[in-house]
Amino acid sequence: MSTLTDEIRGYVVTEFLDGEDTSDLTTEFDLIDSGVVDSLGLVRIVSHLSGAYAIPVDDIPLKPEHFRSIGAIAAFVENANRAAA
Amino acid sequence: MTSAFAQSAPQTPDPAPDPYELAAPWAEELNRDVEEFDARAEFPWEKWKTIRRSGILTVPFETRHGGRGGTLTETMRALEGLGHTCRDAGLGFSASTQIVSVGVPLQAFAGEELKSRFLPRIVSGELITAHAITEPEHGSDAMNITTTARRDGDDYVIDGGKMFITNAPIADLFLLYVRTGDPGPFGLSVFLVERDTPGLRVGEPLAKMGLRTSPLSEVTFEGLRVPAARRIGQEGAGFLILDHVMKREILFSFSLTLGEMTHRLERVIRHARTRRQFDQPIGRFQGVSHRIADMKIAVETSRKWLTDTGAKVEAGQDAAIDIAATKTVVSEANKSTALDAVQIFGGQGYLTGTGIERDVRNAVGGTIYSGTSEIQRNRIAALLGL
Repeated sequence: MSTLTDEIRGYVVTEFLDGEDTSDLTTEFDLIDSGVVDSLGLVRIVSHLSGAYAIPVDDIPLKPEHFRSIGAIAAFVENANRAAA
Repeated sequence: MTSAFAQSAPQTPDPAPDPYELAAPWAEELNRDVEEFDARAEFPWEKWKTIRRSGILTVPFETRHGGRGGTLTETMRALEGLGHTCRDAGLGFSASTQIVSVGVPLQAFAGEELKSRFLPRIVSGELITAHAITEPEHGSDAMNITTTARRDGDDYVIDGGKMFITNAPIADLFLLYVRTGDPGPFGLSVFLVERDTPGLRVGEPLAKMGLRTSPLSEVTFEGLRVPAARRIGQEGAGFLILDHVMKREILFSFSLTLGEMTHRLERVIRHARTRRQFDQPIGRFQGVSHRIADMKIAVETSRKWLTDTGAKVEAGQDAAIDIAATKTVVSEANKSTALDAVQIFGGQGYLTGTGIERDVRNAVGGTIYSGTSEIQRNRIAALLGL
């Protein structure tokens, strides 16, 4: 896994799965359908990404599919960083 | 030798004054006729001018807009100082709402045109502001807001209504949280609307238990046409803005509460040292002293939660549980210490003239606004996976 994916995974585990067995938490695991991340959780994730990776809120496409899995979140951040560079 | 050294020592500029001290010089004006204003449920316009002169409203805003350029925690300090100085909790609450309701989200999310047009007059307190989130049928359930904004060319047309809107009867500017999309996290948008816009109607001030000098009312919208340029942030960003605002609303308004509680504790200690019964100060009786010790614990627990959570939010860390816990701890401590003060002051505490009973009435609101204590506990439980 890349450093970015590790970071995202660390954030998700700390904030949404603290104290739980995360051995089966793959990068493709569906955080929304599984109920790990609810509506307000999505808002927290977007807010975190905006702050942690300096992505302007107006540049974040507000669609749940971008935040459905650790892999999707990492890909979104990577694309946003590339676009800003 | 010492003198020569002192003369040759490099001159360091005075550090910026602690924002906590901003309110103190204005104590006499702020505390004039508080009981009478409370009895009449009247917003004290002259004292609002004093609040403006104090500079408290400017603390978190950029200097280019007339602000002081302060941090989140400096703003908390300013409001704590106001709470300690000002016995009119309603006025303090209106000031806190002024800072957070429109100015804070405008600074964080609006484009330059809206910022330069409105922020200087918001920061100075010339324009009074309110934000409209709560609805008659959806008190704490913002996810199900039903007031809608429908896109129509270059405008949006807003229909619906909001309830319990602090500052609404006196506000010049409103920030409206309304539905523009499907239910869910990205279905809300935020609009800046001026009071005299056709289609916006502000209801009569609602009589209430406490915080009576801070007016609130219903606001309704019927065919309210708002230019798309008045949208704050992109369409669907309403919850992101709300998340940013609610963290600060809780930290700011309950820093004010912390100042009020600290003042109450000081007053109670003075009373327990000087009020004598059975030939000794009442503070010598454990029934009184233990109650005051518990008040001290409540005040300092509140301070620790506010300080830690403020630091977390300022550092950009996720503080969802911390915010909910802080709000619960401080609001409930305020209510319990206000009741403690009535008990310790006895008959005097029961009279309106001492202001002690007013504190109880004011404190109850804190366990309700910005999400009730029950909602905060639900939130914490949900975040724990329960």
